Order: sequence, then structure tokens, then C-alpha cells
Amino acid sequence: MNKNRFWSPYLAGGGLGLTLLASFIIAGQGLGASRAFTVAAGKAMSAVAPAYTATLTYLSKYLERSPFSDWTFLEVSGVLVGALIGVLMSRGFKIRFDRGSAMSVGMRVMTAFGGGIILGFASRLARGCTSGVALTGGAQLALSGWVFVIAMFASGFLFAALFRRLWS
Amino acid sequence: MSAPLVLSDTVNLAAAVVIGMFFGFFLERGGMGNPHKLTGVFYRTDFAVPKMMFSAILVAATGLCLLSDLKILDMSRVWIIPTFLWSQLVGGALFGLGYLVSGYCPGTAAAGLASGRLDALVTMVGIGSGTLLFSVLYPWLEGFYKTSDMGTATLPELLQVNHWALLAIVYVFAGIMFYAMERHERRRQASMANQVLHAAS
Repeated sequence: MNKNRFWSPYLAGGGLGLTLLASFIIAGQGLGASRAFTVAAGKAMSAVAPAYTATLTYLSKYLERSPFSDWTFLEVSGVLVGALIGVLMSRGFKIRFDRGSAMSVGMRVMTAFGGGIILGFASRLARGCTSGVALTGGAQLALSGWVFVIAMFASGFLFAALFRRLWS
Repeated sequence: MSAPLVLSDTVNLAAAVVIGMFFGFFLERGGMGNPHKLTGVFYRTDFAVPKMMFSAILVAATGLCLLSDLKILDMSRVWIIPTFLWSQLVGGALFGLGYLVSGYCPGTAAAGLASGRLDALVTMVGIGSGTLLFSVLYPWLEGFYKTSDMGTATLPELLQVNHWALLAIVYVFAGIMFYAMERHERRRQASMANQVLHAAS
């Protein structure tokens, strides 16, 4: 792989920071991501099992309106388009299962799905993810953002020492 | 001008799509759709994630301090991320595990999918399922979820210092961190180049 396909992380980070700032000015809120997954999954679940889904009090605030009038759902749809523009510009688009060198495709499906479940659960418990709590809260100098960032990196380092063969 | 802007619902939702496009573009350009780069920080092989993340935080935080001091941005009308200390500490730690195992986080999984990564799509389905799992278990989690409510606590308020003083601390902290990461990456590259030389001779 060509290592120079990407921009300097400082430059890309500066652009991301200006995007976040623009979001505060235009919409009065920062960036988000995990909310979109709750909205989409909640909508799918209520289509399959409407009676049961209606009993889940926590989900009701995500199902009040259509996903297409949910700010974060539309923002994440934009992420897909913007990232596609970026990857086409640099000719990096390729359909594949990206995985660690010692990992089979079956194993990769399991780590992707299992890791995803943990991410989804954790982002609901923390009231957001890397976008909504870490970046947005971090930029607001909010305690929440800094608590989340420190806990996330500390835990990642700890588990990486346990699961050395996952990615290295 | 007084921000945040007061927009109609339709314009605000259209803005969400455009803001998201810039978000996704910069994520991808920074290499944040690539799970090897995303997890490299935990194996100390690639520090793109903290470099990009703290650059973004510094730029946005400086902008917020400046615009609110100049009375251009009314922070009382901006949604501040509330603090629930224990659930965010435990949630953040769990999140770190999920990020390491899947190789993504929710926003970067979307960037990964856009670059053709099917494993990112599987992660996205997992994230959706995980949020449903939380919703199902919520009656048992509610107590913990609502404990240690600290409202919209910010570091300058808690430490009773001016936001510029706190920002200065963040700049120094980030500067030291960036310097250490650059030095570590240079040394690693030098030692890898050495190994290649030895193997060749």
C-alpha cells in the first residue's frame, strides 16, 4: 500500500476542527455518529417487531421522527458521500475485507461484528462516541469529553497488550 | 451576526448533509477509514488518530473561545455535552475495547465502508445491534446510566480558571505529545531501515 496516499494528520485534523467549528456556528451543536446507528437500528427493529419495540422506553426518543428528518442520521449519510469523494480522488477504493495479517475472513467477520456490538453498547452508555463526546465535548473543554478520551485510550492500550495478535 | 444561526428545519437538515460530507472527507483524507491506521496507536506503530483528533480539538476549541469572547457565538445556545462521570468512564473504557477489536469507531466505520471495506459494514451492523442491546437492557442499566450527573460541567468552570488558561494547558500537553509521537515514529523507521539493511547484507 502507498503510505503517502493520505494527508498529514495535522492538516486533516485542522480541516476536521474547522468542520466541527462550522457545525457549532451553523447548527448550534457539534458532530455526532452513534446516534445515527441507534435511529437506523431502532427503525429496522420497529418494522420487524413494532409491539415489542414500543415497550422500549429508551428507544422512544430516537423514533420520534423519520430518519430523514434526524440531524445526525443525515450528517452520517453525508460522511459516506464525503469519504467516497476522498477515496475516489486518491484512487483508494477497493472492495475487500480489511484485516490483520494473521486473521482469516471468518475471524474478521467475528471481530468486526463483536467489536461493533461493544461500540454500540458503550456509545449509548457514554451518551455518544468519538464524534459526539470525545471531539465535540473535547472542543467545548467539557469534562465529559476528556473523561471519555482518557478512558478510551487507557483501555485500548491495556487490551492491545492482551490481544497482541489482533492487528500487529 | 449572532451565531448559532437560526435556520428553518429544512435548511438545518440540508446543512447536516454538507457538514457530514466535510467530516467524511477529512476523516478519509487523514486515513481514518483504515483499521490498521486506526488501531496503530494502541501498538505504537502509527499515531495518526491522536494527532488528528487533538489537532481538531485544538482548532475547534480555539475557535469557540475566540468567537464566544467576541460575542459572535452565544455559547448558551450551543448544546454542551453533559457529564455523567461514572457511565462515561465505564462507557469510554468499553468503547476502547470495541474500537480495538473492530478496528473502527462509528464515524470511521462509515468512512471505511465508503472506501469499499466490507468489514466496516459488518461493524456498522454490530454497532446498530449494540445500541439495541442497550435499549433492551435499559431498565436494569438506568440507575447506573443516571448516576453522577454533573450537568454541563466544563474544565474551566471546575478548576475556576479562564478558558484561555485551560486552553494553554491543552496546547502544551498536545505539543509535548506530538513531539514524543514524532520522535517515536522517526526512531521506529530508522530501526526498521536498519533491519532491512542487515537482512540484505
